[in-house]
This record gives sequence, C-alpha cells and structure tokens, in this order.
Amino acid sequence: MSPLEFREAPVLDQREVAPNIFLLRVGGEFHALPGQFFLLRAWGLHPPLSRPMSVFDLSPGSLSFAYAVRGEGTRLLSRLRPGDIVQVLGPLGKGWSRAEGKVALVGGGMGLAPLLFTAKVFGRPLHIFLGFKGEPFLVEEFLPFGEVYVATEKPGYPGAFLGLVTEAFEPRGYAAVYACGPRPMLEALYEKCRAAGVPLHVSLEERLACGIGACFGCTIFTKRGPVRLCREGPVFRADEVFDGARSFRGT
Amino acid sequence: MEPDLSVGLRNWRLASPVIAAAGTFGFGEEYAELYDLAILGAVVTKTLTLCPRAGNPQPRLWETPCGLLNSIGLENPGIDAFCQEILPRVLRLGVPIVVSVFGDDPEEYGELARRIPPNVAALELNLSCPNVPGKSPVLAPTEVAARVAAARASWSGELWVKISPEGDYLGSALAAQDAGADAIVAVNTFRGMAIDLERRAPVFANVMAGLSGPAIKPLSLRIVYELCGVLHIPVIGCGGITSGRDALEFIFAGAHAVQVGTANFLHPLALPRIIREMQEYLRSQGIRNIEEVRGCARKR
Ligand SMILES: Cc1cc2nc3c(=O)[nH]c(=O)nc-3n(C[C@H](O)[C@H](O)[C@H](O)COP(=O)(O)OP(=O)(O)OC[C@H]3O[C@@H](n4cnc5c(N)ncnc54)[C@H](O)[C@@H]3O)c2cc1C
Ligand SMILES: Cc1cc2nc3c(=O)[nH]c(=O)nc-3n(C[C@H](O)[C@H](O)[C@H](O)COP(=O)(O)O)c2cc1C
Ligand code: FES
Repeated sequence: MSPLEFREAPVLDQREVAPNIFLLRVGGEFHALPGQFFLLRAWGLHPPLSRPMSVFDLSPGSLSFAYAVRGEGTRLLSRLRPGDIVQVLGPLGKGWSRAEGKVALVGGGMGLAPLLFTAKVFGRPLHIFLGFKGEPFLVEEFLPFGEVYVATEKPGYPGAFLGLVTEAFEPRGYAAVYACGPRPMLEALYEKCRAAGVPLHVSLEERLACGIGACFGCTIFTKRGPVRLCREGPVFRADEVFDGARSFRGT
Repeated sequence: MEPDLSVGLRNWRLASPVIAAAGTFGFGEEYAELYDLAILGAVVTKTLTLCPRAGNPQPRLWETPCGLLNSIGLENPGIDAFCQEILPRVLRLGVPIVVSVFGDDPEEYGELARRIPPNVAALELNLSCPNVPGKSPVLAPTEVAARVAAARASWSGELWVKISPEGDYLGSALAAQDAGADAIVAVNTFRGMAIDLERRAPVFANVMAGLSGPAIKPLSLRIVYELCGVLHIPVIGCGGITSGRDALEFIFAGAHAVQVGTANFLHPLALPRIIREMQEYLRSQGIRNIEEVRGCARKR
C-alpha cells in the first residue's frame, strides 16, 4: 500500500467540462490504487471539513479529479486557478482489484469519477457503461480503455440508450462488476447482479471528517459489523453492505 | 534557545501542553502515519465502554458555520478488546496514552478503572458525552462526585475528569476535585441540532448532537477562565482551538494544557503546527518557559 501523505500541491489546470462539472489537475508525483481517494481543501476555517474526491486520473507529474459542484466546498474548489495551492491528503481507503476475465464498470452521473483510473489500470477485456440524466460528459476520456456504452434519460443523443443505465446493463457473462453512482442505482444494479450470480463491487459515499479512520464519523453497518467507510472502503462488495445491513440501526 | 513548552501536572510532566482530544484521534495509530506523535503532550483515546458499541446510524456529521455537529454515539471495541489488542500497539507510539472511558453509572466507572493497566499515563472520565441515546450529558454535581469517587477507588494513577459545558459546570468541577480528580478537562461538546428542510425532520436520529470547532472557542475559553478562578487542580482547556494563538489564550486564561479535536480534521498536521506557532510566539516575546505566562491574562 502507498504511504499516506499530506501535501500542498499546485493547481496545473482546471476546466469546466460540462455545466457544473469540473476537471481539476494538480502537480506532483502521486501514487494510488483504483478506487482510492484523496481529501482536498483550499480554504480556511469554513467549511470545517475537507472534501473527498476519487482519483479520476493519475499520470507521471499529475493527479486529477472530476467533480460536480454541489455546495460550498466544491464551489470553492471550482474557483481554483493554475498556480493556486490545494491541500491534498492521501491516498485514502482501499482500492478495488480486478477479477480475471471480462469485467464491467458501471457509472451513474458523477459516479463515473473513480472509473476512468480504474479502467486504465484494469485494462481489457473491459466494458464500460455510463449513465446520465441529461447530456453525457467525459465519455471520450473512456474510449481508449474499453467498449463504452452510454445511457441517458434525455432524448437526443444518437448512439446512446434512452433510459437508465441499470436498464441498459445486463450482468450475465461478466466475471465481476464495479460500480459507482447514486444509491438507488447501486441497489437496482445489485438486484440484477445477485440474480445473475455476478459479484458486484460498489464505491459508497458518506460525509467524512478525518478521512483516515480516526473519528468514526463515516461508519456504515455491514454484514461484518460497523466499518469505517474511509478506511475499510469506500469500495465494498455489494453483498456485504446491501444485504442484511440495512436492518441494523446502531446502538 | 527553544522556549520550554513542558508543563507540570500533579503527578506528571507533559513534554508539550498540546494533547489530542478524545474521539478525534482514534487510538493514535492513524495520525502516527503522518507525523511523530512524540511532540505531543499526550494522546487521549476514543472513549471506551465496558461492552463494544456500534454507535449511531448515519448521518453522524453535519457542518455549521465554523462548527461541526457530531453524533458518533461512542462507537468503540469495548475496554477488554482495547486493552488486549490495541493498547499494546499504541503504547509503542512513543507518546503518553490517556485512556478515556464512559460508564452508565458509578459502578461501571469503578469497573472500567479496574481494567486499565497501570502503564497508561492517565485515565480520563468522559462525564459529558452528548451522543448516547436516552442519556443526558449533563450530570448533577452529586452524580459527578459518585462517578469520580468510584473510579478513584480503583485507579491510583493520574485521573482526569472531562466535564460538559452545560448545567452546573462549576459545581461539577468542584465536586470532581473533591472526589479525587487530578485535573479537569473543560470542555466536551455543546448540545446542538440541525433540521433537514427536505425531510422536515432533525438531521440526526438522536435529534441532538455535539457542537465542536472554532464556533465554540469563545464559550469554552470563558468556562476555562471561570474554572481556573475556583479550582486548585490543573485545568486542561478544550474547545475550538485551531492555532497556536488560540492555545495560548487558554494558557493565559489559566489552563495548564489544551486538548485539540476538530482542528485535526481541518488540517491533518494541525497539532504540530499549533506547537510550532506557540513556540514562535514565546520566542518572539522572549519568554523562555510557558509556565511563566500561565494565567497572565487573569484580572487580579
Ligand atoms: C470517498 C468519496 C469519494 C468521492 N469522490 C467524488 C468525486 O470524485 N467527484 C465528485 O464530484 N464527488 C465525489 N464525492 C462526493 C463529494 O465529496 C461531495 O459531493 C462533496 O463533498 C460535496 O461538498 P460541497 O461542500 O460541495 O457540498 P455540501 O454543501 O457539503 O453538500 C451539498 C449537497 O450534497 C449532499 N452531500 C454532501 N456530501 C454528501 C455525502 N458524502 N453523502 C451524501 N450526500 C452528501 C448534502 O446533503 C447537500 O445536499 C466523493 C465522496 C466520497 C465519500
Ligand atoms: C467526531 C468527534 C468525536 C468525539 N468523540 C469523543 C469521545 O469519544 N469522547 C470524548 O470525551 N469527547 C469526544 N469528542 C469531543 C472532543 O474530544 C472535544 O471535547 C470537543 O470536540 C471540543 O473540542 P474541539 O472543538 O477542539 O473539537 C468528540 C468530538 C468530535 C468532533
Ligand atoms: S472519516 Fe474519520 S473515521 Fe472515516
């Protein structure tokens, strides 16, 4: 595992790739596994917590993040310009590793963020399913790394499946499926994968404080008991977090 | 010459007045991956209970202006698993370990204190957790006295008592002092809440949660100032400290040392930075020893 490091990294560039969707690249030699994330911060006391972002891409000399602006933290990140400094803590969490054979990646909306680096490291045979509510974004980044299928709920995108990505996707035939996206999408995907007997790995989200396992702020209840999402996750086998775990309400 | 930051408590000299606060620093192992903990005065562990606890459901964290509401609910592996599996490892981190414990009643505090091995630096009684469903964090001074006396009877080492900022905190601190506490840690979080407008319901399942961070600093500083005027045992200030200057305000108010929690989330190297900033201030003022300035801002 790569050692945990805290750095102040310079912004190399940032662009708005679609309305409210940003691609931020910072400079430095970083290491990470697919599925791992970093905590980012570029402000003073408020908001108090730093913001977790998955590795979108990692190259010699740079690390990039793809994110949607949702609230104050991501709004502040979106204002960064080349030369500005970002505090970067990571790599954090456990990554996911590739099953042998043909595997599929499924992303819902901004849930595509951890999948590009995953696709790059996993390699073919690889099928990539990306679902969107409206206009697709960042799809071209994925094209070199596998067969890419796009679904969107809004008509008018030739070549794209009209509807939900979970409707477009059929798990049979894959050695494993790796997914990130909104919870209802992941649960629908889990029903399909379970019926097909195909292992599903999901990347989950909670609010994080320390990001390194020290505060128990991100604990979720799984089949093996309470686990810290930032440390034991954010990627889990879906059967560990979706079956039986929901009935557990804490003490 | 570097200014001397070491401070004397009743039975023990801390290498530095900066201590990692309970519940924000795990058992020390995670932050030890980032820096050498030997620079700290001590690390206080996540609060431990007799039985393991899974804690409260999500959400457990909510941001407020310069503040953080948390509803962790004392998730911990239980005192026995801690003593057997975790403590031997953390005792090797090179920093004094203070074990924080929470019990439902005085007997449980006695039992917890009995199970702590003597090689830990101190025992901290958490008499102030706001996140245990069905339990108020605000104890009457008589209830505080009973808990401290029970722990004192089975623990002969350094004993810290962490109080709530709510209720009769002066009475509680005096009661703890009379019952045998060696230091008062002031304060734990303030109870606060937030309401989710979409769900039209409280954000937290337990309704109330604990408020920490810069937002509470003036409040915790005021309480520390008041306590230092009435107690004869050391006070360890806590609540909202994020810089060396913040920490010095507590020392100038009369605190022997400080604990820092939420600041670790704002910046993972907050504690080394706070220590460095304190040193820089003392050096710039020509102060050789931090104990010279303890309580210097008190009105006489
Ligand atoms: C491990 C991990 C990796 C992530 N990777 C990415 C990524 O690569 N790209 C990306 O765009 N986002 C990612 N996220 C989500 C991202 O961190 C949040 O969107 C961001 O923190 C929101 O901050 P904000 O200040 O802009 O919004 P806030 O003001 O904090 O929140 C805006 C809205 O989003 C909701 N919200 C915020 N955080 C969460 C959460 N964790 N869970 C559920 N609801 C939430 C709030 O309730 C609110 O309605 C990741 C999250 C985690 C835990
Ligand atoms: C996430 C979190 C968890 C905490 N857990 C504990 C705990 O287990 N025991 C305890 O005595 N205090 C706990 N606290 C309170 C802190 O130790 C500290 O008293 C409080 O946060 C005020 O200081 P701060 O503003 O520096 O964080 C916790 C605080 C936070 C933010
Ligand atoms: S965010 Fe602190 S333990 Fe996960």
